[in-house]
Amino acid sequence: MAKSSKRSSNGNSTDSNKKKKKSKKSGPEGVAMKVKAKSNKSNGGGGGGSNPFESIWSRRKFEVLGQKRKGEARRMGLARTLAIQKRNNTLLKEYQQSAKSSLFVDRRIGENDHALDEFGKAILRSQRERQLNMKLSKKSKYHLSDGEEDDFEGIDSLGRDDFEEEMLPDDVDAETHEEIDLVQRRMQIPGENVVDGEEHRHKSKKEVMEEIILKSKFYKAQKARDKEENEHLVEELDKDFTSLVHSEALLSLTEPNKMKALKALVNSNEQSNKDHIPTSRKMENSVQEKPDDYDKLVKQMGLEMRARPSDRTKTPEEIAQEEKERLEQLEEERQKRMVAAEDSSDEDNSDSEKASEQKPRSLSGDDLGDSFSVNEQIMTKKGWVDEILERKDEDSASEDDDGEDSDDLESSEDADEESDEGLEKHEKDLSLKDWEQSDDDDDIGADSEDGDEDDSDEDKQTDSEDLDGVEERLDAAVHIKAKRDDSVKNVKRDKDSSNEKKINVGVKQSKESDIPYIIEAPKTFEELCSLVDECSNSNIILIVNRIRKSNPITLAAENRKKMQVFYGILLQYFAVLANKKPLNIELLNLLVKPLIEMSTEIPYFAAICARRRIESTRKQFIESIKKSESSSWPSSKTLCLLRLWSMIFPCSDFRHPVMTPVILLMCEYLMRCPIVSGRDIAIGSFLCSMLLSVFRHSRKFCPEAIMFLQTSLLATTESKHISDEDSQLYHLMELKALKPILRIHETVNAISPLNFFKIIDLPEDSSFFTEVGFRASVLVTVVETLQGYVDVYKGLSSFPEIFLPILRILNEIEEQKNMPNSLRDKIKDVAEIIKLKVDELHTLRRPLQMRKQKPVPIKMLNPKFEENYVKGRDYDPDRERAELKKLKKQLKREAKGAARELRKDNYFLLDVKDKEKSLLEKDRAEKYGRAKAFLQDQEHAFKSGQLGKGKKRRR
Amino acid sequence: MTRPFGVKGKKRKHSQSKQYSEEEHQQPPPKKAVAEESKEPSPEPSPEPEPERESEPAPTEEDELSGIPIVPSEKNSTKPNVIFILEKASLEVAKVGKTYQLLNSDDHANFLRKNNKNPGDYRPDITHQSLLSILDSPLNKAGRLRSVYIRTEKGVLIEVKPFVRIPRTFKRFAGVMLELLQKLSISAVGKREKLLRTIKNPVTQYLPVNSRKIGLSYSSENLVDMDDYVSTISSNTDLVFVVGAMAHGKIETDYTEDYLAISGYPLSAAYCITRITGALERKWKIL
Repeated sequence: MAKSSKRSSNGNSTDSNKKKKKSKKSGPEGVAMKVKAKSNKSNGGGGGGSNPFESIWSRRKFEVLGQKRKGEARRMGLARTLAIQKRNNTLLKEYQQSAKSSLFVDRRIGENDHALDEFGKAILRSQRERQLNMKLSKKSKYHLSDGEEDDFEGIDSLGRDDFEEEMLPDDVDAETHEEIDLVQRRMQIPGENVVDGEEHRHKSKKEVMEEIILKSKFYKAQKARDKEENEHLVEELDKDFTSLVHSEALLSLTEPNKMKALKALVNSNEQSNKDHIPTSRKMENSVQEKPDDYDKLVKQMGLEMRARPSDRTKTPEEIAQEEKERLEQLEEERQKRMVAAEDSSDEDNSDSEKASEQKPRSLSGDDLGDSFSVNEQIMTKKGWVDEILERKDEDSASEDDDGEDSDDLESSEDADEESDEGLEKHEKDLSLKDWEQSDDDDDIGADSEDGDEDDSDEDKQTDSEDLDGVEERLDAAVHIKAKRDDSVKNVKRDKDSSNEKKINVGVKQSKESDIPYIIEAPKTFEELCSLVDECSNSNIILIVNRIRKSNPITLAAENRKKMQVFYGILLQYFAVLANKKPLNIELLNLLVKPLIEMSTEIPYFAAICARRRIESTRKQFIESIKKSESSSWPSSKTLCLLRLWSMIFPCSDFRHPVMTPVILLMCEYLMRCPIVSGRDIAIGSFLCSMLLSVFRHSRKFCPEAIMFLQTSLLATTESKHISDEDSQLYHLMELKALKPILRIHETVNAISPLNFFKIIDLPEDSSFFTEVGFRASVLVTVVETLQGYVDVYKGLSSFPEIFLPILRILNEIEEQKNMPNSLRDKIKDVAEIIKLKVDELHTLRRPLQMRKQKPVPIKMLNPKFEENYVKGRDYDPDRERAELKKLKKQLKREAKGAARELRKDNYFLLDVKDKEKSLLEKDRAEKYGRAKAFLQDQEHAFKSGQLGKGKKRRR
Repeated sequence: MTRPFGVKGKKRKHSQSKQYSEEEHQQPPPKKAVAEESKEPSPEPSPEPEPERESEPAPTEEDELSGIPIVPSEKNSTKPNVIFILEKASLEVAKVGKTYQLLNSDDHANFLRKNNKNPGDYRPDITHQSLLSILDSPLNKAGRLRSVYIRTEKGVLIEVKPFVRIPRTFKRFAGVMLELLQKLSISAVGKREKLLRTIKNPVTQYLPVNSRKIGLSYSSENLVDMDDYVSTISSNTDLVFVVGAMAHGKIETDYTEDYLAISGYPLSAAYCITRITGALERKWKIL
């Protein structure tokens, strides 16, 4: 170490010396001085100004403040001398060496170090010599050197290896305790310690053995102590445990019987403890070896006290599943009851039920829970599904009978239904897929019954129309009659429903409790009819809901198919229901909800159904319109279905696969159906109000509705003249001769709101349609609908053009003398609103002007610049290219530099060779001169005759 | 000076004159008369400019309102233009710390003081404001500005094209000027067209031949109303206005014919320019 440090210090000192030297030399002034010193040796060190002749300045174009430029004044002479010196040291030497075959290298210590003077060199050399001696003496003391001296170079004067330092900490890590102990012991024996510390390696065998013995003894003692401590701890724990058990804090945590066991255990332990504590340890050991009661208990408790997972929230599927299972359970019970009822009286039934229920409970060990083994045992061996199906068949059979009965009770239309059923029976064989077809077939039957729309019979579409009617009633009624009517409607509905109820009561009441909880989805229309027949409205809905719940789509894939079939059937049922003459409005209303819900579940299928029905309805409509004798206005079924769809599907979509055709169909009805009677106007205004409800949000313009309203208003006036402006509006419409159907001849006492369903039910030629009261109330609805349209189309810029003709007619109507006052006020209001709006829009309108061209400004361009521009940096966005460019530049520069250096080297060498040559030349010339002089001298002497004399004399 | 990579074709030096003529053609036709005529819309389009209108690019508007005739607009290929020269602008680059920066009195006051300069003289913001007020004026938008020249205190002459959109913030302006003074030209974003470049002195070689060179100075005896003064100038001479863009002092140029004071008060350069452009707009009916 010391040696190396010395060395390093020496090195450092030499380095620093060098540096000093260099620093002295390296500054330009220093070099200049040196040069000067060469030129005039008198100057030793003082500061002298640089020679202006040796430097070159470069001129600057722009003075940039704060800029320092390197090499502004280049000192050519200085640079040249430096370069020459460098070459003298390198190139020249190489050149001189080039002709030689060997080289003398001076390896004397300190000889290459220019900073050292003779004395320093001497010191260095003496140090080295001493070191070598030391080493040799150490080694050679014990063993002869056999050429391994080099191996020991790493070992310093103290004989320690450098490597040892690193090894020490490892030892410490491995045997800390041991070491500490050993050290402690050795501290007591200082002599040993010192030896140990100093000569770690050189332990004799004896010492090593001693150490080992000591260690083993020490470990033994340690073990014994640990054991004792453990025993103490165990005892303490036992004591604590007994106290804990006695304090009964555990009681709350464990079961009572466990407590007993615990206590027993503790007692025994206590006893044993008491017994054993005074006795020797061996006894305890034997106790421990026994299978410990305590351990068992602990294990048991550990197993039991596990936390149980709480019930997780149920997924929709699970909820559906549960619902289904609940219904199944209920169904099971019901069937049990039913069977018992068949067998015996109610009481018996309940008894038997109980008995039957108890039986399976006892059997429940093998029971899977959801199996229906109990029922099967009691009833038949068939599966529950089969049972239900069977039962349904029975029901349907009975229901058919019942239906017939009820039909008899009901109006003449029911006869039609019977015939339907007859048809349906034929079709029972049809597969599921044909439901639509069968539906159609049924519809044919229905159509034939209806009488209204039978014209087109072949088409199967009538059915679809049937469905529609139901739902529409609700909203349609609302629109037509406005709010006042509600009470009236309600009353009427009540009446209707009460009628139905009356009809149904007798038949159905007995049945009501018999609705099965689990109902397989019916696959054909007859099935549904047989299911539903004779049920009250609420029961029908109940049945529908149960069917839906027992076949949830979320549970099974095949349920989806089932539900789709059922949806079609339900829609058909709805249509058929809407076609009955005394409309069962309540039931229709109730059916709307499940239909809507189901169509959200199977939207695609619902849309397909709707479109099919729309298509068929339209075909039928076209057929009917060809035959002019019958009215082609939509039936109640069509109306209801249209309304239903407008409730199911979003009306405000710009384009919708169902709603767009629906709207188009409604508009077509308005446009093409000839207005013959007051009933037509009523239906038309109903359609208008439905369209209004559809367009309320989307605010699309519907010219057909406006046109119809206008026409119906025109029908109030007796004036036949249709002015020119009006006629251009009518080119869209197939106008039939418009009689003043709504003309009010007589004074009207009171305007009663209309019930639309009642109107629909009435036959076409009923005298009601010619009454003045009816006319007035139709007029009211027309005006109110018109008002709605006015509100919706307020924003249109063509508002005046749309509504001005209507305004004129309104004014005309208002002036009629027989007009009731309330109606007159209403008309006045609407006219006022239209007028205001028209005026407003008129004032907003601007006259047509020439288009003004704004002056086009010149196109401005943004300058491209960099933030923090640095000159010389390449701002090429293509980094690769920039990099390449940079490298090329560098290469070029380097190449140039290298060429320049080579050139200068060559010049230098040439210079040297020149010098040599000139030296030789000079030498030769001198020799030649000398020889020549000698010869001349001789010749001179010879000629002058003093041969030898002069020479002698000279010597 | 080496040319940037990818530049092909003739050097600018050779095609300079041609380019200038092209530029003049490229300048969109000023719409001076448009607004004026719009006040009283003539019912029938004047028959005269029919052929010209076809070449006129107004496709977008025609798409919007087809069928309604457009008010004809005039072309002004022979209309007089105006040139502005900003004298003694203090645009100077210095190495502050390790980076080069455009010197201004706010940020470099200490640096300037250290170098024995008066921070009050370093006002590149005046140049910035003046440039903005020139290039944002309707006069320029109508295409009546030919170009702007800036002569710095150090004598560097910079040409500014009229269709430059000068950066709105001073910091960015300083960035542009810094790069310009180091790279000697600034091109447009996405184009190789030079928007700003340093050119050789003297400035007179770039001025049109029969132009009227007017210097503005508060110190001048000749105090005029700008509107009146402009109206006296014949309508086909080009105008050159020389405005000082320095904080203190007076412009000293040998090429100006008139020295005007347009206000009894000392005006800022930007406001002075606003007055000039306003007067010219009124004269040339640019709204």
